[in-house]
This record gives sequence, structure tokens and C-alpha cells, in this order.
Amino acid sequence: MKSVDLTRSALSNTLRSKLRTALTVVAIVIGAFTLTLTSGLGAGINQTVDRVFGGFGVEDTIYVVPQMEAGAQEQDGPPEYDPEAGAEVDSGFRTGMLSATDVETIQELDHVAGVDTEVAAQLEYVQTTGGNQYQAQFEYALNDVLAEYAAGGAPDRSSMEATVPEDWLEIFGAADPEAVLGETLIVAAPNAVGQITEVEAEVVGVTQGTLAGVGFSPIPSVALAEEVAAVNADGYEGQLPESYIMAAAEIENLAENEDTVKAALAEEGLWGLTVEDQIAMFEAVIDAITWILSGFALIALLAASFGIVNTLLMSVQERTREIGLMKALGMSRAKVFTLFSMEAVLIGVMGSVAGIGLGLIAGFVTNGLLTADDGPLGGFAELSLFGLDPLAIGGIFLLILIIAFLAGTLPAARAAKKDPIEALRYE
Amino acid sequence: MSTPVLETENLVKVYGRGPAQFHALKGLTFGIHRGESVAIVGKSGSGKSTLMHLLALLDEPTSGVVALDGRPVSKLKPKVVSALRNETFGFVFQQFFLNPHQTVLENVTLPLKIAGVPRAERDRRGMGALEQLEMADKAKNRATDLSGGQKQRACIARALINNPDVVFADEPTGNLDSATSETVEDILLNLQREHGITLVVVTHDEDLAGKCQRRLIMQDGQIVDEHTGVLPAGAGRQRRAAPHGASRPRRRILPFGRGARR
Ligand SMILES: Nc1ncnc2c1ncn2[C@@H]1O[C@H](COP(=O)(O)OP(=O)(O)O)[C@@H](O)[C@H]1O
Ligand SMILES: [Mg+2]
Repeated sequence: MKSVDLTRSALSNTLRSKLRTALTVVAIVIGAFTLTLTSGLGAGINQTVDRVFGGFGVEDTIYVVPQMEAGAQEQDGPPEYDPEAGAEVDSGFRTGMLSATDVETIQELDHVAGVDTEVAAQLEYVQTTGGNQYQAQFEYALNDVLAEYAAGGAPDRSSMEATVPEDWLEIFGAADPEAVLGETLIVAAPNAVGQITEVEAEVVGVTQGTLAGVGFSPIPSVALAEEVAAVNADGYEGQLPESYIMAAAEIENLAENEDTVKAALAEEGLWGLTVEDQIAMFEAVIDAITWILSGFALIALLAASFGIVNTLLMSVQERTREIGLMKALGMSRAKVFTLFSMEAVLIGVMGSVAGIGLGLIAGFVTNGLLTADDGPLGGFAELSLFGLDPLAIGGIFLLILIIAFLAGTLPAARAAKKDPIEALRYE
Repeated sequence: MSTPVLETENLVKVYGRGPAQFHALKGLTFGIHRGESVAIVGKSGSGKSTLMHLLALLDEPTSGVVALDGRPVSKLKPKVVSALRNETFGFVFQQFFLNPHQTVLENVTLPLKIAGVPRAERDRRGMGALEQLEMADKAKNRATDLSGGQKQRACIARALINNPDVVFADEPTGNLDSATSETVEDILLNLQREHGITLVVVTHDEDLAGKCQRRLIMQDGQIVDEHTGVLPAGAGRQRRAAPHGASRPRRRILPFGRGARR
């Protein structure tokens, strides 16, 4: 039998008992639909992340933090006290902060062109000129490059400037972001004994929150953050050791030296991360969630595959004589097997095409509704919850065909094995 | 006569194992010549169908040899045997086995479809075969719309479509009334004569058996008798002294009278 005839026969056979085929197809549709949605969700969020981080010109920076709980896994109980370890070194390490020595070490590493540091800045409140006082904390000053700006831009790192999030417009009585630029934000910093010092900063930008969590709080300039930190440190007895939350090391030719610098940092008990690493970590979480959700969809598909087995077994049973006749008239086992496998694959094709189509429609429509400007998730800049990943769609299609084919092998083998004499036995 | 197209040697078929064993064929040796018409007759359960299945390569003997054109077939691969059946044999069954979901033409051309003949040629040859059997006007009908005689004619068209060397017919008139049987018998025998086809027919029908050139009489898995030569029309009637008429009663070859049909 020619393949075109096999295909045509398989198609007309599947369409013969329409209701039964339709019900089997529906089960596949449900699995394909769910898989399309879950993979689309992962693709959408990952595409958003790529888009949000993609435009930054900070590719030559490695962000450095202390290695947290270094060796925690191998360790039982608290580490032993080491009198040799100096107070200064310790000051940064145990508190999860970088010490001045750490920063110096980073500076002296090969390929490091410069280091910016992030100090911890504690706020009591913020205030508009002549307005109310509001509770607030600063975003990292070094995150200025990661933010999305609705108006203005990043603060000049050496001036007393800051940005405010988009939803703060109302406390300035402004309707559109441009109107806030140039306003003054009064920042109240407490010292060690709770006395307040007010520092004035000019608003130079309005941020939109991104999925990376940047832009939901005011971003200070580096100078402003340091000023506030200086106030915070004021009033301590003696000298409070310098400490930093994070350092941003600018690397010469990052692409080539990334691994060398990271290894050198690790040797010093420090942990270096590029923006790309952070995206990768974020996407790894998204991917993990996607896989878990897809796991449920796969279970649905598994159930559907038993539907195919069942349908085709019934079909083989009903068509015993037809199979017997075809074999008696010289159809080989292999062709009979192919005919029935093809029926299974056709059911898979129908189910996956319908399911993927519906999944894409549902995904894009829901995404449109949720992330519209006035939708429930409209507040996130550039958020899309659903994306088209042609590779994933192709993969789903192929996966379903394979599952359908495998489900078809049992009935197909049974059909191929039928003895023509038994099948044609007169009754 | 020419060399045998089909030969058997000490053909044995045993069904089942151990105490439940049943010897359906007990060592048959005979030959069927090219272009010959042979009837296998005998009581129900005597092993006629079993024998036909072995000759038609639908089943394998427990022991003994079936040879096609002088070549033993027992060593052939299943795929080759399938192809042989498809190209060399035609089948007519008592139960017709027409696919009710397909047209008459599609049913008739099934062997060509299995052989991988393209659609256009299939349809052309199918129409040719249907014309031969005066069924061309039914080509587009569903197989279920046909009368019994028409169904069997469609089956004969299907059996002839691949220009077979041998046509096997198992009780081809078993489901037909006597007038229709007569027509179908004549069609089969005419085709056999005109096309030089070898016809192997399993039957209870005395008329049909009588029209064949040779009759193998079977009993309990053995050939107990063999008659050669076409019996004159009405030979059986004289014996029974049945009345003349357009619609003759069905007759059976002695000694397999009543209840011979399953
Ligand atoms: N598959 C089988 N298993 C067991 N016995 C069988 C089988 N096929 C046929 N037989 C037995 O073999 C004998 C011959 O059967 P068959 O060739 O069909 O007889 P006929 O066609 O002459 O009526 C019968 O007794 C039948 O019951
Ligand atoms: Mg029989």
C-alpha cells in the first residue's frame, strides 16, 4: 500500500466513528491546551525579563557580595572562634556586609577597572516640601541602571538626587510624571540615638516597577545614600567600621575575564554576579515553575494516551474482519501496523492542533486583559504573561505525536498480529 | 496436462496440542494443474476449508509440503508470502467480506490498493472488472446496497482484479438462492475457461461441483475419492428424478446429503 493510500485510509477510518474519535481528541486537546498555556506563561515571563534587562549598558559590571554562609553545608554547629581573624575583616564577613578591606581587595584584582560601593542607608521618613511625611526605604543606589523610567532618568551619582516610583505622583499633587521632575524630596535620616537630620534631594526621574523588583521605591544617587549612611553612623561611640551591602566592580573586557575575576573573588570569600547571572537565576526559577506546571499537563496527556489505546483497541476489535481480509489479500504485517499507528498519530495531530490553537488564543487574550493599562497587572512595566515560543510549540506538537504513536503501538501490534483465518472465520 | 500449479505432499494439519489434538488433515498428496477447475467437496468438518487455507498460503501445515509452480513455499518469509497472495491469488468468500463503508469500486480495487497501484489505474481496472460482471452501473454504490448476487459478483470482480493465476472460492454460492447461484457458477466457470485461470472451489453445491473438471471428495481429513470430467447438466437431477423447471431445487452430491451445510 502506498503511503498516500495508507494516510487516506487512516483518515477515513478515524472519521468513521466520529463521536468516539471526537471524545478521544478532546482529551488530547485538554493536555495540549494546558501545555501550551504553561509553556507560554514561562516564555512570556522570560521574554519580559530579557526585554527589561536586555537594554542595559552595564554588561561590564560584576556585582560583588560576601559569600553567604560559605561552607554552611559541610558545617555542623557554629564555626569555632578564631582569635587570629581580625575584627576589621570579621566586621564585613559575618554580617553579610563587605568590609573596607574587601573593597580594597576587589580593587586590586586583575582586570578590575573601578569599584562602586553600596552603603546601607536607613530612613525615618520622607516628605514633600510642606507636605505629609511618608514611610519609605531606599532602593540600592547601584540599581539605577536596572530601572525603567517613565520620565527623566537615573540620578547623577555624585549629586544629591533621587527618583520616585510612578505611584508617588499623587503625593506631589502631579498628574503626569514629567511634572514631578525638579521637585524636592526631603529625606529624614536618623542617627545612632534617633535624632533626625533632613537631607534634601532633587527628583530627577520617575520609575516604573519592573519584574526584577526594581523601581518600587525611591532610588537615591550614590552621594545621597552615602550622606544618609553618614548620618546613620553618627553618634556611635568610637569608630564604626566601614561596611557595604554590595560593590559593583567594573571589569575590563568582561566577556573574556569574567571567569578569572569570579574565581579570584571566590578565593577571597566573595561572590560575583553579572546582570546576566541574575537574569539566569530569575529565569531558572521561572523555568522550574513552568516545568512543574507542565508536569500536570503531561499527566493529563498521559491520561489522554490511554484514551487513544482504548479507542483503537475497540476499533481493532470491530474491524477484525476488515483486517483479516486485508491480510488475506496480501497486506503485510508492517503495513497493517502502520495503518493503525497512523490512526493514532492522526488523533494526536487533531488534538494537538486544536489544543495548541486554543491555548494560544486563550493565552494571548488573557494576557491582553490582565496586563492592559487598567488591568489587574497593568502596573508592571513591559510585563507580558504569555509569549509565543515557536520551539516550545513545535516541541509540544512533536511530543504529542510521539505519545500518540506510542499509545497506538499496542492496538496496532494487535491488529498486525491478527490471523486472517481466525479473523475471517465464518460464524 | 501441464505441470501442476499447486502440489501437496503428505499434507498434515493438526489443531491443538496434547489430548485435545485434532488431526484436521491426515496426509494429503495431490496436484492441481494450471487452468484446471477443481471442486473440493465433503461433509462439514471434513477439512475442506483447512485444505483450501493451506493451498492459498493463508496457513502453514503441521507437516508436509505445499509447492507453488514446483517451488516449496514453507521456507518463504511472511512478507514474500503476502506478496504472493496479493499477486497470484484471488479469493471469493461465502460471506462476501465487502467493506460496508466503501463503494463497490473501492471494494473491488482493494487488492490493487494493497499492491500499491496508483489510484487512477486502480479505478480504470476496477471499472473494467465490474463491466465484465455487468456491475459497472453499481460502481459508486455502497457495498451494502447490493443484493446477494450482486455482492458475490463484486467479490468475483475483486478476485479477478489482479489477474490471478489461481482463484480460491470457499462456498461461493453458500449464501445465494438457487437462481443466483446458477448465474454465479456460470460466471466463475466461464472466467476460468476464458482466462485460463485455475479455479479451486470448496462447495456443497452439486451443480457447481459437477461443472468443475475434477472433484476431490473429502472425509475426515482425507481424500476418499476423486471424480474427473464435467458432469452433464442435470446428471444429479436424473438420479433424484426432480421435476424440470426454471427454479430447480438445490441438490447435493451423494453421500453428503442433509445437514451437510454448516
Ligand atoms: N483453529 C482451529 N482449531 C481447532 N480446530 C479447528 C480449527 N479450525 C478448524 N478446526 C477443526 O478442523 C476440522 C475441519 O474444519 P474445516 O476445514 O473448517 O472443515 P470444513 O470446511 O470441511 O467444514 C473441523 O472439525 C474443525 O472443527
Ligand atoms: Mg468450511
